Amino acid sequence: MSRLLLMLIGCSATALMFGLWIPFKALVAQELLTLAWAESQARQTEARPWPWADTWPVARLYIPELGASMIVLEGVHGESLAFGPGRVPAGAEGPVILAGHRDTHFKPLQFLAPGNELRLQGKDQHWQRYRVTDIRVVDSRTESIDTHALDADTLLLVTCYPFDSMDARGPLRYVVEASPVYALEQKDTVAAL
Amino acid sequence: MLLSLLANRDGRIPLESMKTIGNRANRPRMLRCAEGVSLWLAMLMMLFVHPIYAEARAMDMEQPGQLYLMDGQNAWQQPALILDSDFSVQVSGLLAQTTLTRAFRNTSDRWLEGVFVFPLPDKATVYGLTMTVGEREVVGRIEAKASARQTYERAKAAGQHAATLEQQRPNLFTSRVANIPPGETVRVEIRYQQVLDYRQGEFELRLPTTLTPRYMPGEPVTNTESQWQSGWAVPTTQVPDAGDISPFTVRPSDVDRASHRAAIDLTIDSGLALASVTSPSHRLHVEMDGSRAQVRPEQGKVLMDRDVIVRWRPVAGSEPSAAVFHQQWQGEDYLMAMVLPPESVGPVLRRELSFVIDTSGSMAGDAITQARSALLRGLDTLRPGDTFNVIQFNSQAHALFPAAVPAQGHYLARARRYVQDLQANGGTEMAGALSLAMSMDASADEEQVRQLVFITDGAVGNEAALFDQIRSGLNNRRLFTVGIGSAPNMHFLREAARWGRGEFTAIHNSADVDQALNRLFAAMEAPVLTSLDVRWPDQGQPLTPVPARPGDLFRGTPLIQVVKGLPASGVLHVSGQLPGGRDWHVRLDLANSAPAGGLNRQWARGRIDELIDAASLQRTSPDQDYIVDLSTRHSVISPFTSFVAVEKRKARPEAEVAGSEAIPTLLPAGSQSGMLRYPQTATFGPLFTALGLVGLMFALAIAMLSRRQTL
Repeated sequence: MSRLLLMLIGCSATALMFGLWIPFKALVAQELLTLAWAESQARQTEARPWPWADTWPVARLYIPELGASMIVLEGVHGESLAFGPGRVPAGAEGPVILAGHRDTHFKPLQFLAPGNELRLQGKDQHWQRYRVTDIRVVDSRTESIDTHALDADTLLLVTCYPFDSMDARGPLRYVVEASPVYALEQKDTVAAL
Repeated sequence: MLLSLLANRDGRIPLESMKTIGNRANRPRMLRCAEGVSLWLAMLMMLFVHPIYAEARAMDMEQPGQLYLMDGQNAWQQPALILDSDFSVQVSGLLAQTTLTRAFRNTSDRWLEGVFVFPLPDKATVYGLTMTVGEREVVGRIEAKASARQTYERAKAAGQHAATLEQQRPNLFTSRVANIPPGETVRVEIRYQQVLDYRQGEFELRLPTTLTPRYMPGEPVTNTESQWQSGWAVPTTQVPDAGDISPFTVRPSDVDRASHRAAIDLTIDSGLALASVTSPSHRLHVEMDGSRAQVRPEQGKVLMDRDVIVRWRPVAGSEPSAAVFHQQWQGEDYLMAMVLPPESVGPVLRRELSFVIDTSGSMAGDAITQARSALLRGLDTLRPGDTFNVIQFNSQAHALFPAAVPAQGHYLARARRYVQDLQANGGTEMAGALSLAMSMDASADEEQVRQLVFITDGAVGNEAALFDQIRSGLNNRRLFTVGIGSAPNMHFLREAARWGRGEFTAIHNSADVDQALNRLFAAMEAPVLTSLDVRWPDQGQPLTPVPARPGDLFRGTPLIQVVKGLPASGVLHVSGQLPGGRDWHVRLDLANSAPAGGLNRQWARGRIDELIDAASLQRTSPDQDYIVDLSTRHSVISPFTSFVAVEKRKARPEAEVAGSEAIPTLLPAGSQSGMLRYPQTATFGPLFTALGLVGLMFALAIAMLSRRQTL
C-alpha cells in the first residue's frame, strides 16, 4: 500500500515538475536571450544565446497594451518555441509570421483586440509599429498560411487555440493579423522595457 | 542539462519520504534498495522519453513552404489512396481522342471515398465515364448536375460502388469515387476529345497532369460550409467555388512512390507524312512509320508534375492549308472545316505595346525567370516609332512609366533594368492590372496599333469576371497572352486572348521561350485576316455553325468551324480582308471530305460554349434546360451536367463506416509553394501540471485516509 502511494506521489511529482519546468524554462530562457539579443544588435551578428543552441534571436516583440515583451527566435521547431516565439521561415520578402506557445509566451495574445498596437524591433534597432487588424481562429487541418496572398509587410502571430485546452495537439489556431503603421520613427525609447 | 539537475532535485523528495516510511515499516534493507532503484529508474525513463518526444514534435515543421494533409492528430499522413493514371491518345485528323484511366487503390484498412480535382485540356470535350470494380464494368450516364450529385450521394450512403465526374471550369474537373474497399482498386475511365493546336505548320497536343494553385481574389466567405468542399481555399466573394477548384498541392516526395504517375501512349495517324515528333517537356520514344507514329515517354511512367506536350510536324511542303471532315451521327450530317489564312506580309505597323507581367507568388521559381526572359524578348521586338510600357502586378499593379514612352535607348535600358529586378510575391489581383493597362491614355498617334501582352500563369479563380472586364474595357486594343510555367491555366490564356481579339502562346521551359515567343511576336506583327465571312452551301434552312462568328485570324492560325445538318456536297466559301484592304477568298469542295468521328460532340460542345458566351454578353443566365438537353443528347459534359456511374449491388457492409479522402495534386515542377502549415504551438505543460496536481492531491487523500485507519 505504502509503496503504491509512493509510486503515485513520485509520478505525480514528476509530472508536476515537467509541467512547471516548461514555463520556467520559457521564463529563464528569455532572460538569457535578452543578453544574446543585445549582443546581436551590438555586433550585427546572429549571436546564439548559448553555444549549443540551434536558434538565435531575430527580433523583439512588444505589446504595449499588455505590457508583454519577448525575444523572437529563428525557426518554429520544438527547441526554439520552448525558449521564445519563433519566426516562421517564409522567405526574405514575405510577411513576418511569428508562432509561439499558447501556454507560455503567447498566452497574452488572448487579451489582444483589433486596434491594439504591436511593436517589432529588428536587428537594426528600428521599432516597427503594427496595428492588429484581424483576429480569427482557423482549423489547421483544412487551412494553411498562403504567404502569397498576404501583403509582404503583414505581421502574423500564430498560437494554438483554445488557450485553456489541455490537448497540446489540437487542430485549432489563433491567428492575429496586424498591418504596419508608418508614423514617426521611434528609436530605442521602448527598448528598455 | 538543467533539466536533469532539476529533475534529480525534485526526484529526491519521493526517495526520502520512502526511506522514512520504510524505516517505520521495518522492512529488510534489500527491499528498500530495490524500491529506491526502481523509482529512480522510472524517473530516468521519463527523462529519456521526454527528449524523444520533443524531437518527434519538432519533426512537424521540418519543411517550410509545405502544405500537408493532416489527420485528427494533426500529423502528416500520406494519402491512403494511390492514384495511377493512364492516358491512351488516338490522333486522327484534327481531333485527338483520349481514354484516361484513373485507378484509385485503397491501401488503408477502411472503406474510403476518393475525391480528385484534376485538369483536362482546356478544349476537352468529355463524353464518357466507365467505372470498373474488379471484373465488373459500369457505364456512366449523363444527368443534370444536381440530380447526378443526388444519385451519387444516395449510392454512397447505401454502400454501393459509385463514381461521378463534374466540370468545375472548362479545364478543371472533380472525380469522386465512393466506397473503395480496403486493399482494392476502383478504375474510372474518362473519355474525352480535343482539337489539336495547329499553328505555323506544327501540331501540338497538351496533356495537363497538374495545376498551379490558383489565387482567389475577394473577401473570404466563411459561413457557407459546403459539404462538397475539399480544397485548401475558402470561398470568397469573387470565387464562391474556391474550395472546389483548389486541391491540396504536395511535393512528389509526399505521396507514395507509386502514386501520381501517368502512363502515356499516343498514336498519331495524321494522314500526312510526318517529319518529326518532339516534346519540350519530356524525352520521347517515337516509332515513326510514314504518316503514323507511336509515341510514349522514354522513362515509362511520368510524374504528374507538369503538362505533357507533344508536337509533330508534317514534312515540309505537305503542311495542310485546308481540310474538311465529315461524319454521320444518328442520321444527321456533321462537317468540320479547317482553313489557314495566307502567308502574306503586310505593311509594318507602328505599335503601342503594353507588357503586363504577373509577379504574383504563384510565379515564384522557374516561372518568373521565364516570364522575365519573355518580357526582355518582347522588348527586343520593339522598333523605332513604337511606344511601350511595362506593368507588373501582384497584390497591386504598378506601371513603370505613367504613359507609354517611345522605344528609345534610355527608356529601353530602364525597362530592362526594371524587368531584371522583378520578384514574384503576393496575390494575383489581375483585375487591377487590367484596368490600369486599359485606362492608360491613348497616345495622340491615331496610326498606332494598340496591343497588350499579358505574361502570366493564369492561376486565378475568377476567370469569368476577368473575361468580362477584358471584353468591356479593351476598346480598340488587342490582348495577347503568354502562358508561363509547368502547368499554366490554358483555359484562361486562350479565352482571354479570344475575348481580347488576340492570340495566345505558352512557354513550357526556358529553352522554349524563343520558339514560342517568336511565333507570337510574328503573329502580332503580321497583319490579320479581318471581316471573315464563311459561307456554307445554302440548304434552305438556317445553319448553326460553331463558332458562329469566328474572330480575326493571325498568321499561321487556322479557322476551324463545325456545322450540323449539311451533307458533304457543295462548296464552302471563305473570304476575308487582308491588311491594306485587299480581299482574300478561298473555295473548298466539301465532296472531298475525309471521314472522321466525334464531330457531333465537337459541335455540341461548341454550341454550349456559344450559348454560355451569349448569356454572359447579355448579362443573363444561360438557358439551362436547353444546354442540359443538348448535353445529354450528345453525351457531352457541360457546366450543368455531370456523369455518374452506380453499381446496383451493395458492396460495403452496413457496419463499416466509409471515410473520405481528397487526393492531392503535385506541385508543378519548378514552382515554389507559398503554402505554410500552421506550426504546433502548444506544450504539454498545462497537462502535466494538472496531472501532477491531481495525482498529488489523490495521494494526499489516500495518505490521510490510511493514517486515519492506522490511528
